[in-house]
Amino acid sequence: MQGYIFDIKEFAVFDGPGIRTTVFFKGCPLHCMWCHNPEGMSFAPELMTSPNGCLHCGRCAQVCPSPSNCRVCGKCIGVCPMHLRKICGTAVTPRELAGRILKDRDFLLKNEGGVTFSGGEPFAQPEFLEACIRELNGLHACVETSGYCDGEWFRRIVGLLQFVIMDIKLADDDKHRYYTGAGNRKILANLKQLKSGNTPYMIRIPLIPGVNDTKENMEQTAGLLTNAGPLVRVELLPYHKTAGAKYGMVGRSYHPEFRTDQKPQYHLDAFEKREIPYKIM
Amino acid sequence: MTENIRNQLDYFIRNKAHHAFRQEKEDPFRLAETFEKAGYSDLERVVRRFCYVLEKEQPVVYPWERIAMIRTAVTLPEIHTPKEKEALSEAHYIHEQGKVCNINPCYAEVIGTGLLGKQEEIRAQMEKRKSADDPKAREEYTYLEAMLRMTDEMLAFAGRYGDAAEKAGNLRVAETFRRIPAQAAQTFEEALQFFRFLHYCLWCTFNYHNTVGRFDQYMYPYLKRDLENGTLTKEEAFELLEEFFISFNRDSDLYTGMQQGDNGQSMVLGGCAQDGSDCYNLLSDLCMDASLELKLIDPKINLRVHKNTPLALYEKGTRMTKQGLGFPQYSNDDVVIPALLRWGYEPEDAYQYVVAACWEFIIPGKGMDIPNIDGLSFADVVVKCLPKLTECMEFEDFMKVVHEKIRTQCAQMVTKYKNLYLEPSPVMSLMMDGCISRAKDISLGNKYNNFGIHGSGLSTAVDSLAAVKRFVYDEQSVEKQELLDALAQDYKGHELLLNRLRYEGPKMGNDEEDPDQIASRLLAWFAGALEGYTNERGGIYRAGTGSAMYYIWQSEDLPATPDGRRAGEAFACNYSPSLFCRLKGPVSLVKSFSKPDLKLTANGGPLTIELHDTVFKNEESIRKVAMLVKSFLDMGGHQMQINAVNKDTLLDAKKHPKDHQNLIVRVWGWSGYFVELDEVYQDHIIERMELTL
Repeated sequence: MQGYIFDIKEFAVFDGPGIRTTVFFKGCPLHCMWCHNPEGMSFAPELMTSPNGCLHCGRCAQVCPSPSNCRVCGKCIGVCPMHLRKICGTAVTPRELAGRILKDRDFLLKNEGGVTFSGGEPFAQPEFLEACIRELNGLHACVETSGYCDGEWFRRIVGLLQFVIMDIKLADDDKHRYYTGAGNRKILANLKQLKSGNTPYMIRIPLIPGVNDTKENMEQTAGLLTNAGPLVRVELLPYHKTAGAKYGMVGRSYHPEFRTDQKPQYHLDAFEKREIPYKIM
Repeated sequence: MTENIRNQLDYFIRNKAHHAFRQEKEDPFRLAETFEKAGYSDLERVVRRFCYVLEKEQPVVYPWERIAMIRTAVTLPEIHTPKEKEALSEAHYIHEQGKVCNINPCYAEVIGTGLLGKQEEIRAQMEKRKSADDPKAREEYTYLEAMLRMTDEMLAFAGRYGDAAEKAGNLRVAETFRRIPAQAAQTFEEALQFFRFLHYCLWCTFNYHNTVGRFDQYMYPYLKRDLENGTLTKEEAFELLEEFFISFNRDSDLYTGMQQGDNGQSMVLGGCAQDGSDCYNLLSDLCMDASLELKLIDPKINLRVHKNTPLALYEKGTRMTKQGLGFPQYSNDDVVIPALLRWGYEPEDAYQYVVAACWEFIIPGKGMDIPNIDGLSFADVVVKCLPKLTECMEFEDFMKVVHEKIRTQCAQMVTKYKNLYLEPSPVMSLMMDGCISRAKDISLGNKYNNFGIHGSGLSTAVDSLAAVKRFVYDEQSVEKQELLDALAQDYKGHELLLNRLRYEGPKMGNDEEDPDQIASRLLAWFAGALEGYTNERGGIYRAGTGSAMYYIWQSEDLPATPDGRRAGEAFACNYSPSLFCRLKGPVSLVKSFSKPDLKLTANGGPLTIELHDTVFKNEESIRKVAMLVKSFLDMGGHQMQINAVNKDTLLDAKKHPKDHQNLIVRVWGWSGYFVELDEVYQDHIIERMELTL
């Protein structure tokens, strides 16, 4: 069995307890308009180029067999004198991936951490994800997810985890569909599982100006989080305009339908009056 | 922060209003010419220069200050004419500027005795030698007499400061100067002013890199007594301390080392005592808080840590790193003290260790070590071995060549430092153990006279050897001659090979077996190669992992290396991964760099890492950075400095220096204002940002 990942980040300090290694799974069923990891959207490997430092020497173009339609052959990577090109998306087996993570097992254990599977959407490769977790020999494992996945898989895999970080982007189903490409029914059903389960979890809300930072949405979202069981806290992540930085690198354009230069609003009273612990990140 | 401190920051730091009192620059050799004509001895010249400078100084006391003194005479005269200097350097080995520097005087000894007490000691020694008629005793007598004259000059100068204070209506400072420096300090305030006075005088006698040492240890008794007596509250003590900290920044622009900011005002806090207890005390904590609040580049904070140092202290240190000051620098007692013991330092001295101007470990009061006398370039060693590559059947054969080359280079190096000359410094000698009783100037040596050799370009050498191992020997994907040709042509026409070596080769810092093992071996060989040699003062040689400015100097003329480095490209600074290494991350980095047995190469030289400023965002993430630092040291790291950086900020600062006057960066062993650095160092720092984790 193989899965696709596009990055492994050491010393992740915002992805769960302690010092963690975060693995980014390739591919996501949602396409959120504000996504800041566009290289995680597609399930297929793709060429990623960094524009900074390009000498415009043309060596990449010289070796390209298919200039109009990239076939992700990788011929241009080794010729770039500035090392600005890479293939984003590598196939790995669960054992290989676990081996890479467990190389730092002692370090992660000593520093109260573990591994976090993020993406992309880790639950979009459920068999691979489950197999990876089973290879970890009990290392503290966390998933950072949109919550958009099949309920049965969600139940099975959460049962193997020590911590979950899940997004609630919009409480309204239609708006959710409009801004992310899919409705939120599966997500809310999975939230119910978290609330009634034993696994500690954290809810993340990206605060997108004019999209979900309204009083109405915050009230509705906070309303979903009453009697929230093992909820640790809510984290509010204000939109940052650098979110669009990587689109050009994977040949995509960034045209969000909201004002990227605006500061989001905070309706914190929605959480305060319900005594839901929260933190602005 | 009190109103008074805010005002002082405005006055001295932002507006630099005290510069108005500075006198005209002078010809630094004018005095030397008169000395030459008069045929004065070096000792006589040193005394006369000191008198000249102090007499030229115009005491300035502000009504609102409690720790007084600013420099107004901006030129430090030389004692030798250029021609005399030339003759000296022909006959002698001259280290840096030929002056006593980069050591840690025992200020507390004089602060706790007073200059009159010291004069008694000097007179007693003079008495012993008074009627002796052997030339050695007469010479010693002359020396003691010179020392006495200098202390007289210091007392007279202090008197003038007292008068100036009175005139300014600052009766408190006037009162302080009525007691010190003649008498021993009785209070924390007096002790601080006394320190300021001594430090000021050291600069006036042209000693430089005058380090501060274990301030929290030797000053604590004064603070403790005042607090217990109820004559000082903690809040008052803190304000006084902040004023004292600001005083380090009043004249420091006059004390340029290699670069502006490289002034050696390093302070050491905490540490493990010989009985295993932790020395971190209330004063250490106040110093941390003062530095956190003031955000000034001086004094530069060094934290001594050990296995029992609580995470909370690392967290406090990390909050300081977050300020972007480039410090605290951490030193690990569990590595440094055993290393010093191995080198023959006595336990009671080893436990007192401090850092020199940058990071070299030295002993207060007893060390006349020259811990930065030279540097071995590991990268140069590898380059010099490459012609033998074609003769080596196995990689291990090539490693033997490297080992031999390290040995011969070290053996050659240690023959260079013969007939060392340093200007005498009776003022410094007042504060160095045994100089009065032996009537021997500190420039001639003291209890410890060891020389330290930096090791620079380590990661370039390691990556080069690891690349040779993998591509030439293991994979055999690159022919020996092909590699040598590419290097000879500086990779022109070999771009694909260059890219492969540069970006796909094994690198030190990624927790890979081959490079890490090579690093351990190179360091151990370096340490071994220096073992057994003694210098002309009876000291030994200590191997280290620092680079100082060698990372620029030694790389400029070095041809291309097998790690894909082109001719002239810089090495990494200190003990750090190469500049074009694509790092896996901080965890692999600290694992890699803690693998070598650093007790062997503990002359000094920190792992220097750059963390993006976003990881310092909140208390939780600060705690995790603290854990990372603690992990490196617990795993056997000897020393570490961390920069909180943002490349965009630096690029902008280079373009618009006016908007970034206060941007502080760590350079090699000290923090300085980015906009004041030479461009080559600015660019190196920006390049280093590629390694940001």
